[in-house]
Amino acid sequence: MSVAADRSENLRMIRDSAGAVVPPGDLRRVRALRSGAPGIDRDVWREMCAMGWPGLRLPEAEGGSGLGMAEFCALVEELGRGLVPEPLIQGAFAARLLRGEALEALLAGERIVLPAWQERAGAIAAGRDAALRDGRVTGRKLFVPMASCADAFLVTTHDGLALVRADAPGVSLEIAGTQDGGHFGTLSLDDAPAEAVAAATEDAVDEALDEAALALAAYLLGAMERSFALTLDYLCTRRQFGRPIGSFQALQHRAADLGIQIALTRASVESAAATLDSAGPAAPRAAAVSRAKARAATASMLVTRQAIQLHGAIGYTDEADIGLYLRKAMVLANLHGSAAEHRARYARLLPETDHD
Amino acid sequence: MTDLNALDDEDFRLAVRRWLREAYPPELRNPPKRLHWRDNKVWYLKLAEKGWLAPGWPREHGGMGLSAAKQLIMLDEYERHGVARTNDHGIVMLGPLLIRYGTEAQKSRFLPKILSGEHIWCQGYSEPNAGSDLASVATTAVREGEDWVLNGQKTWTTLANDANWIFVLARTDRAAKKQEGISFFLVPMDAPGVTVRPIVNLDLHDEFCEVFFDTVRVPHDNLVGAVNQGWTMAKALLGFERVMIGSPKQSAYALGRLRLLAQRMGGWDDPVFQDRYTGLRLDLADHTSLYETYLEILRRGEMPGADASMLKLHQSELYQRITDTMLEIAAENAGLLEPMEGNRDLNPAGLFLQARPVTIYGGSNEIQRNILARTVLGLPG
Ligand SMILES: Cc1cc2nc3c(=O)[nH]c(=O)nc-3n(C[C@H](O)[C@H](O)[C@H](O)COP(=O)(O)OP(=O)(O)OC[C@H]3O[C@@H](n4cnc5c(N)ncnc54)[C@H](O)[C@@H]3O)c2cc1C
Repeated sequence: MSVAADRSENLRMIRDSAGAVVPPGDLRRVRALRSGAPGIDRDVWREMCAMGWPGLRLPEAEGGSGLGMAEFCALVEELGRGLVPEPLIQGAFAARLLRGEALEALLAGERIVLPAWQERAGAIAAGRDAALRDGRVTGRKLFVPMASCADAFLVTTHDGLALVRADAPGVSLEIAGTQDGGHFGTLSLDDAPAEAVAAATEDAVDEALDEAALALAAYLLGAMERSFALTLDYLCTRRQFGRPIGSFQALQHRAADLGIQIALTRASVESAAATLDSAGPAAPRAAAVSRAKARAATASMLVTRQAIQLHGAIGYTDEADIGLYLRKAMVLANLHGSAAEHRARYARLLPETDHD
Repeated sequence: MTDLNALDDEDFRLAVRRWLREAYPPELRNPPKRLHWRDNKVWYLKLAEKGWLAPGWPREHGGMGLSAAKQLIMLDEYERHGVARTNDHGIVMLGPLLIRYGTEAQKSRFLPKILSGEHIWCQGYSEPNAGSDLASVATTAVREGEDWVLNGQKTWTTLANDANWIFVLARTDRAAKKQEGISFFLVPMDAPGVTVRPIVNLDLHDEFCEVFFDTVRVPHDNLVGAVNQGWTMAKALLGFERVMIGSPKQSAYALGRLRLLAQRMGGWDDPVFQDRYTGLRLDLADHTSLYETYLEILRRGEMPGADASMLKLHQSELYQRITDTMLEIAAENAGLLEPMEGNRDLNPAGLFLQARPVTIYGGSNEIQRNILARTVLGLPG
């Protein structure tokens, strides 16, 4: 088989396996987990680890599957379709930076390690005001998704990465619920015992952050595609004035416009994944991620908002699943940088030159 | 009572402001979700006692008969003070309808009870299969002697869980063309056979309900207009509703919150943001001017025309553009379940969700555009 055919076969298998672990059609599990701590199902997490998902991107020598961002994005997209709350994007982000025993425990599903990298709202780059001295870390980290399920946090500091156990002295976590039924944690570290993670350079952290941002875009892509599919179904089945509402031209045009935005998002996400999967200079790689994240953020908000409108009043009930997609987009659209932040970063990274 | 219309605008403004400071319960300022009757009753009754419940109703019916300009001043002061919306279906929908189409007996029976807070109304129009296609209502009313017997189901009935009366569109002639076989009924919610089931909305609030009618008996006196003239009533009332939704109140409130949010998030001085914000401000100012012309129409006791759809369209979409902007600048706070920092003025996600249904209810915006295009602009159907 050719390399390309091999790869598309891989992608298909990954999508199928995702569907087997977390079937997208049924959101009862997702609903049942809403707004409780820890907000995830450990058994599902362990199953994801058994499938090798957090380590998908790692070389085989490190216990991973040696696959690329294209494959990881395809996987995450499937999770987005099912609004899966387990923090795979964050776990994979941590796995990129850990080594040795800590990595093994993460990949085996024994310990959940979540990155705590953010120090101000709206950030794209890692905050490094936290300090690591003599095996102790002090600082404050914001917006850690699903923080209460973490066994340990991977903390960016001025002095490199630090691994901090969630139950260590000096660690406190403040939880704020999010619209998707999950939560953000604010992590306060006051002279908390920590283990330095020496191997990871700042560049490696930046790259892992960009991979996570792109994965979020892929998750949003899956979620918006699914909400669009549900909406198209509804347009075909709901009848008013003796006809399916999808026969009204105003709604057909609306649907067509949403379809364009979804196609653009897919193209942008896949192109960014291919860019990250090939060797190249840092700026265009990061710019590709910003382009995809900016598109996914705006398109997902547009599509999920319109999905409500096109459903009419039933779309404004908590009972209807369609609203869960909007709630998810509200939480993820600005995570790892809003559309505006990413547009600004894109312009910084790839300034336009006069007539080239 | 002093003639408020005789006051000059500034004195009137100060009188409103002074009274809100004295009388408005501080804990009800800018509530994060729409209040239920149990919470806003105290304020409704104060308004009732003061005679200020119905600024736009003529004075002979117990309203304030205020000029449009003064109504806007009142609205502006309410908005600045953070006055919450009450259970106002009687005031803004049913009252004006009865004033226009009710019999003298109906007016004297129902209007005073709206003004005293004794009757709290809700709107029983929509059904599971009659949403945009409202003329397809399937709830039936069958004449039995001096009574009508109702059977069927309404849905999306806002605050039916607070109301003790409901106005209902029901089919009274199955053979007629669908618009011509509907009548408009006033039904007490404590009548045997009425059941209410609340529905939790996207903002996780039990703000609308299903209402079931199982052999509910009402006297013929409770029918407004003539038998089979319900569609005329329905449309007239929707006209009032559209002017009500066209009130700049929601957008003005949201714009104030957008400013606070931008200041809190640090983007307020950004020139790009300033341009965008000023654009929204001008939209609101122009909208308010347009709205004023409709308030004048109502005050003259005339019916708003089909063009009131413009008002509803523009207000609801402005409200959404403002709350969309809030989410865009709120960073991660856009996804929070509760107001930021425990501050109900910083509630971008909540406001964004509350702005969603305004383009759906009162006739969806798609339907309003159809009306505008066909009835007002005269395009072929
Ligand atoms: C928060 C809220 C409160 C409400 N309160 C009340 C209340 O108190 N009392 C009451 O009676 N009702 C109430 N409603 C119901 C409201 O009036 C209906 O939701 C509305 O009429 C739309 O009907 P539907 O929900 O059945 O949507 P549908 O009619 O099924 O419409 C679904 C989608 O199709 C579109 N569509 C339908 N027909 C056409 C067409 N011909 N051309 C183009 N597009 C079309 C609609 O615009 C919408 O986007 C409320 C609704 C909401 C959301």
